[in-house]
Amino acid sequence: MNFYEHTLITKQDLSTPELSNIEKKYKDIITKTDGKVIKVEKWGLLSFAKKIKAYNKGFYIHYKFEAENKTLDEIKKNSIIDNSLLRHLTVKYKKLDTETEYFKENEKKK
Amino acid sequence: MKRKNNKFNKRPQNPLNKLSLFQKSDSRFSKKCPLSGKDAPVIDYKNVKLLKRYISDTDKIMPSRITSVSQNKQRKLTSEIKKAKILGFI
Repeated sequence: MNFYEHTLITKQDLSTPELSNIEKKYKDIITKTDGKVIKVEKWGLLSFAKKIKAYNKGFYIHYKFEAENKTLDEIKKNSIIDNSLLRHLTVKYKKLDTETEYFKENEKKK
Repeated sequence: MKRKNNKFNKRPQNPLNKLSLFQKSDSRFSKKCPLSGKDAPVIDYKNVKLLKRYISDTDKIMPSRITSVSQNKQRKLTSEIKKAKILGFI
């Protein structure tokens, strides 16, 4: 078992129930394949530095979890097909830092 | 008798003392790496404020000879900046 961080960028024009559906969907994928979700962060609507697929803004969802290799394959499979996602990124960590949140201030302003 | 070495240690400290513009200054400055040592900032792709200090106006990664970041940390910086570019932070 290793520690991972996973971030999703969804499209800008989604409603709040659709957003929570996406958040639930990837949470279930991790738990179904014997993983353990440690923390979920919603960074809210952030603007990009450059346009991504003709979008200027996007919703960010951030997962911190402990899992094995097969969950990563499942996440990758699903997020490539998913039409509401713009981009995704997984990073492996030896130790997870759950305390510092870099995007907390941005949410309060909006 | 001890020889006095003071004469040889003297170096021009004021840059106006130079004979010509192209003469190199004797005093070499060596800066410490700002990202290593005690209570240094964490290099991470989420720490966008820190990463933005190490890219140019045209979003290029700055060379370590300008920023005086150590070799090990520079390798970390480049990988984290590239991750931040994927997520659209930079």
